[in-house]
Amino acid sequence: MVEDNPGAYLDHAAATTLDPRVRAAMAPFVDAAFGSPESLHDWARRPAEALEHARTQVGALIGADPEGVIFTAGDTEARNLAVKGIVAANAHRGAHIVTSSVEHPATLAACRTLARDRAELTTVGVDATGHIDPVQLAAAVRDDTVLVTICHGQAEIGTVQNVATLVAAVRARKPDVTIHVDAGVTAGVVPINVTAWDCDAATIGGGSMGGPRWAGALWVREGTRLHPLIEGGLQEGGKRGGAHDMPGIVGLGEAARLAAIEIDTRSAHMTALADRLIHRLLAVDDVRLNGPSMGRVPGHVQVSAGRVEGETLVLTLAAKGVAASPGSACSAAGKASPVLEAIGLEPPWTHSAILFTLAPTTTETQIDFAATAFADAVASLRAMSPLGSDA
Amino acid sequence: MKTVDALGTWCPVPIHLIDRAITTVAPGDDVVLLADDPLIEVDLPAWCHDTGHELMALHHDSGGYRAVVRCRSGRVATT
Repeated sequence: MVEDNPGAYLDHAAATTLDPRVRAAMAPFVDAAFGSPESLHDWARRPAEALEHARTQVGALIGADPEGVIFTAGDTEARNLAVKGIVAANAHRGAHIVTSSVEHPATLAACRTLARDRAELTTVGVDATGHIDPVQLAAAVRDDTVLVTICHGQAEIGTVQNVATLVAAVRARKPDVTIHVDAGVTAGVVPINVTAWDCDAATIGGGSMGGPRWAGALWVREGTRLHPLIEGGLQEGGKRGGAHDMPGIVGLGEAARLAAIEIDTRSAHMTALADRLIHRLLAVDDVRLNGPSMGRVPGHVQVSAGRVEGETLVLTLAAKGVAASPGSACSAAGKASPVLEAIGLEPPWTHSAILFTLAPTTTETQIDFAATAFADAVASLRAMSPLGSDA
Repeated sequence: MKTVDALGTWCPVPIHLIDRAITTVAPGDDVVLLADDPLIEVDLPAWCHDTGHELMALHHDSGGYRAVVRCRSGRVATT
């Protein structure tokens, strides 16, 4: 149990605690307000009002018209809905997709699934800090391109893209192409305005804003062609069939409302603590920061430690009471993270990455505890390494 | 003009969606329905006949169907 662990939980991207205020807002909808918002009787009234209120709250956080908000079961579903739904609905215009090499695995998997069938996929590379070049992105767009999908914040190395610049470059090449922005990592911690971005669709999730991580949403601009991924009902205007997860949706809405108010405070707190952690981690010999030194997703810190295997380091830290994630996508199979390869890292750096993700509740004490444990763990693992402690 | 996007949905969802949407517009206002279920060619005229709303246009191209329905009055129950 995390609450019984005196150590440092710095794996908030994997799972995080629910803001108590969000939990309080959700509570009635697992109890007395259990009705379906789709029903015609009195039990539907409160859920129906809460559903539209949550839609307004989510829209307000991202500068979007609430009518375009489609609730989903988390941001992974929203990414799938965006990619598969937009491509399917625009099949008469073409079947070419443009994306980047640092997208969330859900986005890449959805794109590859379509490419396996009949779509064509162009993946644009990034620079050493994970930034997409707007000129390269626009150059990849063709006359038959129906979807450009890019991430706002990178989930592993924390790079925050200049979305407005990227969208403008794409629009200059093909004004009517549909552009989806994945803000699943940044919603609630980095200001988002989809109207200013001039995109057509955006993904958000509850986890990054202290809401239920199993709740998410896809916003689509009016007039954007989209097919549903989950069919079978009138819910969400027919774009997402299935019963509404009312506790999750209400929680997402309340989390969005709170995030809109507290975003500056949260961002400043997590950025300061992340900088403190980075400073301490880089003080250890032969450790490098992955991703940019500035302009990161607040609270995202990924480093690679030379002569140490990432998963072993995570397990060693876990034994010391520190929760983090390995930076490698599938270290058991000896595979490097595609994101780390995309920024030009090579072994052993690709296999020695570790990701710390902070939350607004993270404390300096936890950061210092984790940093000390990291230094101890790296030293002990290097002492056991056949490469030696100073190889 | 209000647009109902029923793309990717199958009968009876497009009809249910326009039945909902027509209640939100004033009499005489038009609602655009986008759909790609071929049954819309049968269902929409039938729904208009039943409810009294007026089917102003129903076009089909490679992107699907685009229909314009004029609201006859406020909500009229679908039979």
